[in-house]
Amino acid sequence: MKNIIKTVALGIPLFFVMGCGNLDQPSNESVKGGEVVVDFSASAMKDTLISEGLADENSTVFGYRAYKIPYTTTDEEGNEVAVSGLFVIPTGMPTAVNSLGLSMVSDDHGTIFANSDAPSVIASNNGTPDGSSVLLTSLGGFATLQPDYIGFGDSYQQHYHPFILKKSSANCTIDFIKAVKNFAYDNNITLNNQLFLTGYSEGGYVALATLQKIEEDGELNVTMAIPMAGPYDVNRTAFGILSAPTLSVPSFMADFGYAYGKAYNIDIDTVINEPYASELPTLLDGSIARDLIDPQLSYDTTGDTGLFKQDFVNNFFADSSFWFRDAVVENSVHAWAPQTSVRLVQCQGDDVIPFGISQITEATMNAMGARDVALVPVEPTLGLDHNVTHSACGGLAYGVATKIFSDIRKTTIGY
Amino acid sequence: MKNIVTLSIITSSFLIAGAYKVPEQSINSIALGATYVAHTNGADSAYFNPANMAFEESDKQLMEAGLTLVHLPENKFNGYQAFSATEVYSANGESEVENLGLPYLHYVSNPMGKVRWGASLTVPGGLTKKWNSDYQKLFAQEFTLKVIEFNPVVSYRVSDNFAVGGGFRVIYSEGKVYSDGNQVDKPIKREMEGDTIEYGYNLALTYKPIEDINLAMTYRSNINLKEEGDANLYIGGVGKQYSANVTVPLPASLNLAISKTWFDKFTLEFNYERTYWSKYKSLDFNYGSDIQAPLVEYFDDPIAKNWKDTNTFRLGATVKMDNITYMMAYSKDETPIPKEYINYELPDSDGEILSMGIKIDTSDTISWGLAYLHDEKDNITLKSGENKNGIIGTFSGGGADLLTLGVNYKF
Repeated sequence: MKNIIKTVALGIPLFFVMGCGNLDQPSNESVKGGEVVVDFSASAMKDTLISEGLADENSTVFGYRAYKIPYTTTDEEGNEVAVSGLFVIPTGMPTAVNSLGLSMVSDDHGTIFANSDAPSVIASNNGTPDGSSVLLTSLGGFATLQPDYIGFGDSYQQHYHPFILKKSSANCTIDFIKAVKNFAYDNNITLNNQLFLTGYSEGGYVALATLQKIEEDGELNVTMAIPMAGPYDVNRTAFGILSAPTLSVPSFMADFGYAYGKAYNIDIDTVINEPYASELPTLLDGSIARDLIDPQLSYDTTGDTGLFKQDFVNNFFADSSFWFRDAVVENSVHAWAPQTSVRLVQCQGDDVIPFGISQITEATMNAMGARDVALVPVEPTLGLDHNVTHSACGGLAYGVATKIFSDIRKTTIGY
Repeated sequence: MKNIVTLSIITSSFLIAGAYKVPEQSINSIALGATYVAHTNGADSAYFNPANMAFEESDKQLMEAGLTLVHLPENKFNGYQAFSATEVYSANGESEVENLGLPYLHYVSNPMGKVRWGASLTVPGGLTKKWNSDYQKLFAQEFTLKVIEFNPVVSYRVSDNFAVGGGFRVIYSEGKVYSDGNQVDKPIKREMEGDTIEYGYNLALTYKPIEDINLAMTYRSNINLKEEGDANLYIGGVGKQYSANVTVPLPASLNLAISKTWFDKFTLEFNYERTYWSKYKSLDFNYGSDIQAPLVEYFDDPIAKNWKDTNTFRLGATVKMDNITYMMAYSKDETPIPKEYINYELPDSDGEILSMGIKIDTSDTISWGLAYLHDEKDNITLKSGENKNGIIGTFSGGGADLLTLGVNYKF
């Protein structure tokens, strides 16, 4: 009996040494100052783009590697904010490019409401290439920089989003450009000194605000800026919105009023009617997408059932010293004279940001002594025989911008 | 996740005559192709019918130890993999040949009045399955499984012709599952590992209406196996690790058997087994946090199984000649997997099992045995639209060959 017990006792551990142990962590590339969140080979990208009808077998397609990079910026009030952005580089480039370095495109994204739509959040959550960076990086061969903006990414629910507010918008992009340069240096990613700025819709506004601050500061050099379909003349945009009886997209206008109220320390209930004023902190906290916010807001501009307070609207039109009048002028980015080449790209059929805003911006800048500012309407540039709306124009506008950037790089850098 | 798949395979291996089946865990059970419920004798009664421990003639302690060598031939697939109506690709391929060694140990105590106890330590479901062909790798680049069961049992002799038995089952399993779609334009990959310890019970009874006839019933309870571990899921070159678990049933099984012995030398046994696979409705993986959206379709959405209960019929013969015992058997079984739900990790089909063996008593206390089992699987042909995993074509090969060498010892 003792013998058999001994035998069994010996047998049990013999069987159990088969244990497989813990699974090692994924063997991702290790980087300093960020993390790899997407890594698609050139062949995987090509297959994906072909399946989406965006490339064919003869297309040159580069790989797509994206890093989430945390950094610090400064908000409207001058406070430091911990934020984040997405840095995307092409892989599988010709060897010669490694010595020439990658040209950078700072690409500011359009209006979002849900944090899950922020560039680094999309990349982290999905692990897949997404949006304009595919065009710029995998087809264009550029290093693409996309700040999440204050209020999204690492500052989600830590700070309101400063929507169409010049200082913090520019700070956020410029600080990301600097952070990316440090990141690239630390991780042996060769960049050249070519920096392009672009962005669509809110991103167009941010790109132009960024260019203005870069020229004021003199610290960075921009090769060309292509802001696209942005509300550069905020004053005129506000007049247009508040003079219309209804709001096409109330969430945009609510975000506009809410952010300005926060930035200028104005009680939001003097700007927005109840119950919306009380609901906006929740609706705009980054947890809800736009299509779920709009139904909870009024489509009437003002009045008892409207989104904006009647007194707020009346004062805006009647009182030239009203705080909001000063604010929209202060945050406009159209009335100055860039010394950098600027191409204002927009569709003539834009139904959200009137094409006239770009026309006014071009005329104002040139009148003020801009060195090289021109308007590039998308439809005639692409030979389209019909007008294109704001949402449909985004991909086309990025295509135009990528072509312009590529032509300049070819001429100046050689690839 | 790995564990999940592993368990799925384990259950298949253990309870059905699948391609990876390791039907039994002793000389006699291999030689008789699991037709070994009514007329068991020796130490392995502890595992196959603990009630029969009460009828064991020897008043000594009994022990059997052995090793089963398992050879799993390759599965071949000729056909197509469809991802959609417009994405249909040639997907011919074959899995690797696998060879495993599975040890076992059985023990029965000497009688204590009407009571006798025993225990078994077995490896009922070890296997690995590896595909190197591109489309198969997307689903099952590698499945590796290790399963151990410790089964202490006790029997009680109610009367001279009626005994009952039962026991406690402790099952430990672990495994890994790798899959890789990078070769087929799907840049996703998974590495999964996990394990679990679960518990169940088994019951048995034997009735001898006359001295040379045994009527027996055994029952093994359903065990829900909650496999817990880690899963590395990759998109492109970037992976994230998640805690993961999944629960699969190790289904209940009922065996009804009758044996008749003539002249104390020749025994025929007929065995019917019902395995309650219908409890296996779906395979639903759970993760500690949301996985990346593009992976949900492949790694998170519940996978419909809808398996069906199975019937297995077995006939075995034993001839005892002085100090030599000859055994042979034939079994016909059916797969629990409907064609709609077959996938590469377990392309199981109906099959037939032939087995034989010999046991030689070299002394009053020691006997040696050698047994061989061949599991022959039917081909499976899946027509267009017939399989929910998009498989169109024919699976062939598979099955198993088992060779067991064991020793019995009385002391």
